[in-house]
Amino acid sequence: MVHIIGYGCTPVKEHWDKGIRELAFEAALKALEKAGIDKVDALVVGNMSSGVLAGQEHLGALIADELGMSGISALKVEAACASGGAAVHSAYAMVKSGAYKRVLVVGVEKMTDKLTPQVTSALAMAEDQRFTVSPTGVSFVALNALLHRLYMERYGVKPEEVAAFAVNDHKHAVNSPHAQYRNEITVEQVMKSPMVADPIHLLESSPIGDGAAAVVLSSEPEGDSSVEIAASVAATDVFCLFSREDMLSLRATVLAAKKAYEQAKISPEDVDVLEVHDAFSILGAIALEDLGFAERGQGAKMAYEGETLIGGKLPTNTFGGLKARGHPVGATGVYQIVELCMQLSNEAGKNQVPDANVGLAQNVGGVGGTVVIHVLRGV
Amino acid sequence: MSAPFYWRDKIIRYRLVASKCKSCGTIHFPPKKICKKCRSKDMEEVELPRSGKLLTFSIVRYPPEEFVEYAPYAVGVVELENGVRVLAQITDADVEELRTGIEVEMVVRKIKDLGERDIIVYGYKFRPALKRSSSS
Repeated sequence: MVHIIGYGCTPVKEHWDKGIRELAFEAALKALEKAGIDKVDALVVGNMSSGVLAGQEHLGALIADELGMSGISALKVEAACASGGAAVHSAYAMVKSGAYKRVLVVGVEKMTDKLTPQVTSALAMAEDQRFTVSPTGVSFVALNALLHRLYMERYGVKPEEVAAFAVNDHKHAVNSPHAQYRNEITVEQVMKSPMVADPIHLLESSPIGDGAAAVVLSSEPEGDSSVEIAASVAATDVFCLFSREDMLSLRATVLAAKKAYEQAKISPEDVDVLEVHDAFSILGAIALEDLGFAERGQGAKMAYEGETLIGGKLPTNTFGGLKARGHPVGATGVYQIVELCMQLSNEAGKNQVPDANVGLAQNVGGVGGTVVIHVLRGV
Repeated sequence: MSAPFYWRDKIIRYRLVASKCKSCGTIHFPPKKICKKCRSKDMEEVELPRSGKLLTFSIVRYPPEEFVEYAPYAVGVVELENGVRVLAQITDADVEELRTGIEVEMVVRKIKDLGERDIIVYGYKFRPALKRSSSS
């Protein structure tokens, strides 16, 4: 069994005073202090785009040195917006195999040193440059908008219902200490906000922000650790969104979820708290369906009717999700794990889900080219 | 992206070329070297039909760097007459008036001008069909 013995994160925001190494350092130190250790056997960094966004590659050795640990094994893992989840998955395999006893995972992204068109280009690199982006000028938001429109038309869903995901995220973020936006928003405000890529409004798109999150994995339960990784699975899908058999299901989520439920020996009903990768509200709706929590076309309604709120049937994105906690792309998958650890360790403050014992996190790279799913269990 | 990046794909971009599996008949766009249905490597190049229906679309208002001067523009998924799907810009139409389900046809247009010291990139776009396609 692989145990999470420490976790921590920086707030997500526009950190004008911090670069990529300060962010990584701050999150790593919190996780190490929580674990009560000052040394690990290996470091895995989850990051999507430090080369383009921060002008810096080779983050493994850089961050290991920053932590005073030069000498250890250190590398960076990249799977677009699923880089964080992929880093945790890699570290899990390293510990599970017996090759390393303790592995530190740091997810980090510094986005705000660049202007919006440059960030837009960097994010679009998650998709096929040759056949998707360069022949059309499609943006990453617009790719998700293709799904959003198709979803509403196929299932007869109203835009207000899809927007509910963003509204719920903001409701949870009010009491989320590390969230980028801690204000509530209404469905009406979402509908009146400007279009980014029709039919996706500004207020249902995840924001640009900086942040880092870290976890320490160990082959043994150590200190006062109380969380174990019950399943860690990564899966891929046909790379070009438009050539997939059904554009409204992320097959990588379906494949990874099936394996994860088997590994953890649970079924969807056993999940007490959920983190889904709602970079855009439509992805949240589709995730609920692909993970087996809603019938096809019912995911948006489930959020609209409040079932995904704390106190509802399936508390989802309890610290604000990608919309309100924020989405520092390569760090997001690790934030999800940190937030589940807070819930399962009874440290979620006002947003605590009572008796939460099983948590599931879904982290998506691109529009589903990669999906990483983790199931965590409190012990 | 550099000129050779576009040059390598000129046939695909000007003539909308896909690959067809000689073993099971599946047509792949983007073209593939291994059939994702039957895993055969016996593939041939085929030109795709040039008309179809607009399945879904978006309007790009905040574009990637190289497209900034063209915004807003529409990008959509076109389902061609043989069922194969292509992502393309939708041109010659008022983006605010577009709707799904309309018949569209392929044209070759300027995709982007990379500046005085670089190339002009051409390739496929789709426009609302001027006349009904022969199959409908």
